[in-house]
Amino acid sequence: MGVNYQPVLWNKNKKKYDKWIAISMFIYLISFIGITFFTNSQTSIETLVIRSFGTLALALLHIILVIGPLTRLNTRLLPLLYNRRHLGVSMFIAALVHGGFSIFQFHSLGNVNPIYALFTSNMEYDSLANFPFQVLGFLALIILFLMAATSHDFWLKNLSPKVWKRLHMMVYIAYALILLHVFLGAFQQQPSISSISILIIGFFIIATLHIITAIKESRIDKKKTSIIEEGWEYVCDLQEIPNDRAKIFVVSKERIAVFKYNNKLSAISNVCKHQGGPLGEGKVVDGCVTCPWHGYQYLPHNGQSPPPFTEKIATYRLKKIDNQIFVLPEALAEGTEVEPVTF
Amino acid sequence: MEIVIDVILSVLGLYFGIGLLFGIYFFFKGAFKLDELIIESKWTVRLLLVPGAIGLWPILLLKIINKLRT
Repeated sequence: MGVNYQPVLWNKNKKKYDKWIAISMFIYLISFIGITFFTNSQTSIETLVIRSFGTLALALLHIILVIGPLTRLNTRLLPLLYNRRHLGVSMFIAALVHGGFSIFQFHSLGNVNPIYALFTSNMEYDSLANFPFQVLGFLALIILFLMAATSHDFWLKNLSPKVWKRLHMMVYIAYALILLHVFLGAFQQQPSISSISILIIGFFIIATLHIITAIKESRIDKKKTSIIEEGWEYVCDLQEIPNDRAKIFVVSKERIAVFKYNNKLSAISNVCKHQGGPLGEGKVVDGCVTCPWHGYQYLPHNGQSPPPFTEKIATYRLKKIDNQIFVLPEALAEGTEVEPVTF
Repeated sequence: MEIVIDVILSVLGLYFGIGLLFGIYFFFKGAFKLDELIIESKWTVRLLLVPGAIGLWPILLLKIINKLRT
């Protein structure tokens, strides 16, 4: 949402979060190096760099993957979501340092191309236990590169939100590759119960949170609306919607959000044009429906972003009989003005 | 197996090699053809977009060609 692009969309809060990310990363690295030196003073500098940045990237990836479901479960955590992209780029940088140093340390000192050496130094591709784990990390790094390189809003607009989202959902493939990479690496080099246990606990937390969120979402989708005359569907009573907020319903297999504001009711698509954020979980700020994910705004009566912005979403017709709210399930063209229902 | 690896790495090398050339074109010209908001944006934005252009050059090339046709 803008009339031009900025290199980085910083505001006061985002700068604060980024400072915290940088400070936390620095403290982690120093602590890891300090503890490793204290427990094993024979460790080389290269190994320390590889391991500290590798574990840092893994920890950040876990945080990134839990932010989504956590914010769906508790909206007070939404500020974490606003800064997730910066966290993702920070994670990629940590992974790049880890991968770069690993390739340099293990594959660049011979007379073979380091990338070629990475793929051919261990040819046990048919073995489960001795599978070349570094190749898995390399493939994950390529995915993380594509994600970090396309994290700017330019890509979201020009690739289309659908393609962009699909590309960024590849984080789960990267996560699976990284789990195998770390698991096999730990197994083949220094089998350690503690590191494997941490990996399993991390996976368990991520999987559990995703399952809980999916159950919560499916409850919304299963909520029944009842059809009455001429195609109008009853959705809820007036008092069920809080002021300046919405309730989400599924009509004609599409999620819609019915907003209550200034003694008016309007219905719009629940899907934000930016990243598909749930508009119905946002609120009305300064007369505009504001997406809880990144603050994109739409006028509730026509689904249009306020000028000079140009985003538009579908609108729906509503009517009220006594205290009951009814919706006509057919979506109107994006940006179509609909007279709000007053009460 | 080595032949398979040879082929995969050659394809990857070729892909990113072409991507690098496309990235240079994208920085100086392609980005303007794709999105008019770039005109009002600083050059640092285009620089930031170059890695993505290198990685996704076939999609962007198709989009630019389609835009030029219309």
